[in-house]
Amino acid sequence: MIESAIAQTAIRLVLLALVILLIPASYRVVVGETLPDRLQAVDLITTLLIGIIVMLALVEGTEVFVDMAIALAAFAFVGTISIARYISEGRTF
Amino acid sequence: MLIDLLGVLALLFGLFFCGVGVLGVIRMPDSLTRLHASGKVATLGLFGLLLGAALLMPSSSLRLLALGLFVLLTSPVATHAIAASVYRRREIVEELMEMQAEPEAPAEPEAPIAVDVTAVLSRSRIQDIIEAQQRALQSHTREDDADGR
Repeated sequence: MIESAIAQTAIRLVLLALVILLIPASYRVVVGETLPDRLQAVDLITTLLIGIIVMLALVEGTEVFVDMAIALAAFAFVGTISIARYISEGRTF
Repeated sequence: MLIDLLGVLALLFGLFFCGVGVLGVIRMPDSLTRLHASGKVATLGLFGLLLGAALLMPSSSLRLLALGLFVLLTSPVATHAIAASVYRRREIVEELMEMQAEPEAPAEPEAPIAVDVTAVLSRSRIQDIIEAQQRALQSHTREDDADGR
């Protein structure tokens, strides 16, 4: 765990700010005019989720959450690439 | 204590870029400019957060830095794929709009041009042109022969 009170407060504030940032990102998912806009906003939400999971690992002091973040990053990459290929080529593989 | 302060600074750096990127994603007017903003979130923002976390939690700093390296490698590739899909989608939409705007366009321009050539130019004029072209061709080949020898 982290000892200093400043770091504890800062971590909680950063976690809160990242969770609040999810709202405008999901606004773009709902509103976005075209399909690539929505895909890009979903990618942005996944990036923010990785940051949230890492911040949660800092708050709780559990290291297993870092592995969850690694798995989420890998799956998000594969999903984004395949959907972008589907948009541009008309098929995934 | 100093390492904690450095970690908090890195966290704030990452949070700043996350906020700016999300602001750009909701405010920018175009798909490609929005992609420019969201690419900053993926590289600078998330890498700053991971660096701060690695400084604050030294027990799993190696895994956090490996995750940061993975994100640095893969997120530009994903952004590039999305940008290529935006570009390709625009091309498809333009082609469709052109096809919709002038459906009988390929048939019309051919006929007037063909009629114009035969109607406006008389037969002797066409003969003149053909002879001039043949003369030019012959002189050209002669020049080539002279150059060759």
